[in-house]
Amino acid sequence: MSSPTSIADRLPSSVRTEIEAHLRQAPQREAAISDVLRLLQQALGYIDDDTLLYAAQQTGMPPVKVEELCSFYPLVLRRPAGRHLLRICDSVSCHLAGADSLLRQAEEISGVTLGQVAKEGSYSILPHVCLGLCDRAPAALVDGHAVGGFDGDALVALLASWEHR
Amino acid sequence: MTAHFYLDGREIPFQPGQNVLEALLAMGRDRDVPYFCYHPALGSLGACRQCAVKLYPHDDKHPPRVMMACLLPASAGLQLVTAESDVRREHAAISELLMRNHPHDCPICDEGGQCHLQDMTVRAGHRLRHYENAKRTFRSQQLGPLIRQEMNRCITCYRCVRFYQDIAGGEDFGVFGSRDRVFFGRLHDGPLESPFAGNLAEVCPTGVFTDKVYHASYLRPWDLETAASICPHCNLGCNTAPGAARGRLRRVRQRHHPDINPYFLCDRGRYGFRHVVHRRRPWRHRLRSREIERDEALDRLTDLLRQGETGFLGSPRADVQDNLAWLALADAYGAPFAAFSDPWQEALAREILALPQAPSLRQLGEAERILILGQALEISPSLRLPVQAALRRGAQLTLASVLPTALDRYGELRRLRPDGYVDAAGDWCRALPSGKRGVILASADALGPAGVHVLRRLQEDLPPGTGVVVAHRAPNLGGAAFFATDGQSQRLREAIRVGRCRHLLALAADPLGEDGDAPFWRQRSSALRISLLDCLPTTTLEAAELQLPMAAVAEREGVFLNYEGRFQAFARVYRPAQYHPHWDPSRSTFPLPAGGMREELALWEPRDLAEALAQRGGRLESFHQRLEFYRHYLCPELPGPGDPGSFIPDALRARFRIGIVPVPHSGTGRWWLSAFHWYGDEAQARFAGELQSLAPVAGVRLAPGQTQAQAMLLTSRDGQTRRYPIVEVAGMAADVLALPPSDLSDLGYHPGERIDALEESAP
Repeated sequence: MSSPTSIADRLPSSVRTEIEAHLRQAPQREAAISDVLRLLQQALGYIDDDTLLYAAQQTGMPPVKVEELCSFYPLVLRRPAGRHLLRICDSVSCHLAGADSLLRQAEEISGVTLGQVAKEGSYSILPHVCLGLCDRAPAALVDGHAVGGFDGDALVALLASWEHR
Repeated sequence: MTAHFYLDGREIPFQPGQNVLEALLAMGRDRDVPYFCYHPALGSLGACRQCAVKLYPHDDKHPPRVMMACLLPASAGLQLVTAESDVRREHAAISELLMRNHPHDCPICDEGGQCHLQDMTVRAGHRLRHYENAKRTFRSQQLGPLIRQEMNRCITCYRCVRFYQDIAGGEDFGVFGSRDRVFFGRLHDGPLESPFAGNLAEVCPTGVFTDKVYHASYLRPWDLETAASICPHCNLGCNTAPGAARGRLRRVRQRHHPDINPYFLCDRGRYGFRHVVHRRRPWRHRLRSREIERDEALDRLTDLLRQGETGFLGSPRADVQDNLAWLALADAYGAPFAAFSDPWQEALAREILALPQAPSLRQLGEAERILILGQALEISPSLRLPVQAALRRGAQLTLASVLPTALDRYGELRRLRPDGYVDAAGDWCRALPSGKRGVILASADALGPAGVHVLRRLQEDLPPGTGVVVAHRAPNLGGAAFFATDGQSQRLREAIRVGRCRHLLALAADPLGEDGDAPFWRQRSSALRISLLDCLPTTTLEAAELQLPMAAVAEREGVFLNYEGRFQAFARVYRPAQYHPHWDPSRSTFPLPAGGMREELALWEPRDLAEALAQRGGRLESFHQRLEFYRHYLCPELPGPGDPGSFIPDALRARFRIGIVPVPHSGTGRWWLSAFHWYGDEAQARFAGELQSLAPVAGVRLAPGQTQAQAMLLTSRDGQTRRYPIVEVAGMAADVLALPPSDLSDLGYHPGERIDALEESAP
């Protein structure tokens, strides 16, 4: 297991500089936590335990507080994800519009349960809280881009294209 | 005239600033509105949506609406209703939602009989379950030896995390996730680190957090006998409610005292009681490890007393009246008596009693400037809660100590050697702005008698409202200080030194162990016979010729004098009993249908033993005379158990301000000595197994980089060498060795003295 200092070694210096800039600009160091987590996730893919401790150390927060944030915000990843990321909304409107069957179908195609890395690192599929696209339900986030009217055919096509790339 | 609002047409009085739920609870009307997340110490949150009431506005513009009573400020003339069907439906529906994921494991749940969820569900009228899908489940965590978690029972009221983080300042417990996956716990499995973790079992309205120690000898709460008791593990005097049944003490809970411990109790207070079942606890009379009958022990003691060579030793661990009885018996025999075996401790107690009346913990929570000297919060953990409360109100905190403390990040730090405390206190007092309420919290060990004396002088020049709280681990330090006026300890020791006393009748004392100066007593142990009345298997008990079994605090009655100078009485909760697996007709005529034979254990209350000895020695009359005289002089009016307590009069306190000015002696040596305190460390709690399993590693603590050695060899005052492994503590003051108080006592040194050490390098 690596120590929090070795996380700093793994980070490109540009990311370190950016993190430090955010910490300096924040009225309190704790206030920079969401930016710190975002930058760390961009650079390292996901927030592992060591990275979490590093973020806690940088912001002066207890590690428990950082984990509270990480576990509350679904955009923060605490486990490795595939090269592409599909987040399917499962809140009320999308649920009524068939999100449930979309998620089951996604599991069948990927061959793994939701949240696991599928097809040798090609992609991961996650359920997501309301995306605010209730008028276009079922909705999804495809590599961070919002998509409405996301149906079974779109799902099949998308996963196939990700698998073959 | 007080203001009122109306609930279902009935007048409800309220205080300004109260919300509707608080006003109802203050009236004892907790039957009108069910609630979960509200807790008097944690305030309102509105998370559980259970305490609905319907508000009828006084204008024509707004329709009646359902609101949460805990978030609705009480105001005069407010018209509220709960008796209508939509409010009833709301109560029942919320109850049903809260019960949606709750397992039906009530038969094996420790909360049964005290379950707020059960009470409220029945009261709110939820009967039939409509939801048919699977319940959400969690993997619960292992949270150490004190608290058990069963996360599936959670109803997400957030009481636990609000208590743990906001009230107790804990940093290793939090709330994770969102939606219906909200989890309350630690980052990983492991013991909870806060000294207040045990309160989770009390704040949790259902069985998510339950008392693991209670679980081991669990009986339903309605089977427990209880009585008003006082915590015997430090000098704050928190009020407790021990629960016992069938001759066994099973748990300790907090008992409300508005000025000391309104809602919470530290883990030493909650789990320290397990010393009463320590496997080496003395239950029988023993003469040189041979079990003897009670009468034989009394005869023997009476003979020894008649020889006129007995010295009497009391203790700050025994209560006021027990020490009085010992003193009266000593007087009746014309023998010397001291409440302390160590003159340093005696002088310390006297100086503490001479201080003006200390602020209550409630007043401490209102302080604007706080100075903490040494590890006061480790000695008396419950001091931390009012300090945190004051910090939330914006108080400024200064911390002066040898070792890092739990509150370091909340205040201005002053790291110092043990000789720096007095200067730190002086600087803080001079810088105290006028008109600010300031409180000094001091560790008795860190300051010593000379330091406390200086604090008293400093306080004389400070504005009224400034108080000093001196934390000490002995529950009756103030009471024992009654007998510490003019060097009794020194006189008793002198009588032993010259051979005038060859027998010591000791009460709950541990002179050979941790009472402060073991070398003096070790050197004389061959010529001194010791008879000891105690309930702990201490070093002195091992060495005592005659062992007399004593009732522990929950097993007897008494009065402690706490740090404020407040007398508080405790009642007997239970009589300890042993169960024999089989009926033995020689012991009892009646077998118990419960499958065993109960034998009550005959333990001494010290007063009864003193009286029995006076009677056998034919000195009962003079014993009673002396006892009455001292009682009248020192504590004419004593409160009863459950009373809020009464204070010693200032005139009496003034009598302890005698002329002797203690002089600090530091001696010479490479290192300064300091005490290292841990929140579970106290004479009685040391024999509480579960709590002790959390103890930090043993050894001598010092700043990093001071030595290459692996261990330190220190020589006691009587020439014995002790080896201590080195534990480096980052952020500790340099040139200081910190040892637990029991080790310091073993060496015969006091905090603030200097010592030389041999360094043992790695082989």
